Amino acid sequence: MISPIAGHERSPHTGLLINGGFFAACLVLGVVIVGLQHHLDRHIDRSVAQIEQLAQLPHGDYLKPALLGYHHLGADVLWLKLVQVIGKRHNTMEDYEWMAHALDVITTLDPHYAYAYYAGGVILGDLANRPDLANRLLIRGHEENPTVWNIPFLLGYNYYFLLADPDRGAYYTMRAAALPGRPAYLPGLATRMAAEAGKPETALAFLDARLKETTDPEMKKFFETRMKEVMIERDIRLLERAIDQYRVRYGRRPPSLATLVEAQVLSALPLEPFGGEYRYDAMTGAVTSSTHPERLKTFHKRNRAPAYLYPKVEQPSYMFPLRW
Amino acid sequence: MKILSIAFNTFRENLRDKLLYNLLIFALLMIGSSIIISKLTLGDFDRLMIDIGLASVNLFGVLIAIFIGIGLVSKEIDKKTIYTIVSKPVARYQFLLGKYLGLLVTLLINTTIMTGGLLVVLWARNVTVEGLLFQAVGMIFVEFMVMTAVAMLFSTFTSTTLSAIFTLAIYVIGHLTPDLKTFGEKMDELGRLVMNGLYYTLPNLERFNLKGHVIHHQAISGTDLVLIACYGLAYTAMLLFLAALIFERRDFR
Repeated sequence: MISPIAGHERSPHTGLLINGGFFAACLVLGVVIVGLQHHLDRHIDRSVAQIEQLAQLPHGDYLKPALLGYHHLGADVLWLKLVQVIGKRHNTMEDYEWMAHALDVITTLDPHYAYAYYAGGVILGDLANRPDLANRLLIRGHEENPTVWNIPFLLGYNYYFLLADPDRGAYYTMRAAALPGRPAYLPGLATRMAAEAGKPETALAFLDARLKETTDPEMKKFFETRMKEVMIERDIRLLERAIDQYRVRYGRRPPSLATLVEAQVLSALPLEPFGGEYRYDAMTGAVTSSTHPERLKTFHKRNRAPAYLYPKVEQPSYMFPLRW
Repeated sequence: MKILSIAFNTFRENLRDKLLYNLLIFALLMIGSSIIISKLTLGDFDRLMIDIGLASVNLFGVLIAIFIGIGLVSKEIDKKTIYTIVSKPVARYQFLLGKYLGLLVTLLINTTIMTGGLLVVLWARNVTVEGLLFQAVGMIFVEFMVMTAVAMLFSTFTSTTLSAIFTLAIYVIGHLTPDLKTFGEKMDELGRLVMNGLYYTLPNLERFNLKGHVIHHQAISGTDLVLIACYGLAYTAMLLFLAALIFERRDFR
């Protein structure tokens, strides 16, 4: 006999008591574990923890050999983690930098993961307003996947819109237009971009191209809003030209915008796309929109620094789409 | 004939191993879970399912090959059942080959079941299955052949625990050998010689890894496939000869 409990003299009641005691102990411990876990969850923000995990990822070149041939699966797992983080409503600029790092690791593990480059380009370019990070990723993606058209297409968009570099924008759009699977309108758009860089009409055509490419309702809304903003710029330019014509003809500024129609300089006044109106300052001759008093930077002055260096006037509250 | 009856017996013995069923159930669970996981991702849903599926077939197959392979010979020695076989008119190499073939049949059936699971998952989600998938599975099986031979080689001269450690180490190193060559290129003459020696001696298991080709639809030429398969078979044969050589000289006490 080793211990008194293990002895065969033990009555059945003692056995029952011991089993019951163990069962109760398990139950109590189970409750304690769940409670502790719940408490910890509430105290430590889970999404912050996830983003920090992305930041701590080792460089892809070191991670790849450690995965012993399962690096494609590794890229998938990291992509899954990243997608959960993007689902957050608001991300800080630091979060986006960590996402850029995670995207870099994912595409190092699987350099042919074309979708990750494209989606990453959209996240960093359109959502984070960091075309520098987006383009670094996309240029590498284009080198690794020279036959995928939507990567240079997005690069062209970023250069044209976000970096106000129409020449390079046209260059990449041209490259995209020469690749298999591209939409039929792309070659026409590319030549137009090269010929009429900086014109709102060309920009509208480009935005329309991206609107056609996306199926996600949120993303569609995003591009529709952007198109309306460009329409305002187009209308303001039209009104400014009309005001100049009026001044040449009558030697003074028009007292109001309606005068332009009365003097038959314009056939009709353009409608403000957001439902507001165009305001005119007769003293300075400046035209502004009632809904968007700031003019679109990319089109306003070509020589200004990239748009992302300015503090954003209005941060759109934008939920990242789950599918597009 | 003797080899076949040993193979058949080994196969029957493997079927009684609980480890086999545990690993198989885990593999099928992993493959099945890819349906749920693919709903959490963004874009390229097919890719995730194929990736998880092929990785499960590969990983669990290798685990079966290693953990059953290491017991093939050493278990017989530990249980002293080897005496009953050695005393019969069976050459030792026949015993080894029979054991090896028995496990290979087990692995073949397992791989077929796991691939079947993957195909069902892909069919359920309307994913088109390309011939490349089967080529990749075929190459994964060649990797199992090599790994089983490695496990058996170690099992002929050392204990089960040590065999497991050595075989796992070979599996890890086998996926890193291309780096040995890269390191060698940065070294001096002697270093390069040593690194190249190691590179050619150790199995290059990355050669059998076509999982990435499937998801990126990168076809691989028939000649390359044949050459890779030949490399795997030649390496397996060499390991089996080596195992036979060691086993012939071994004393059972």
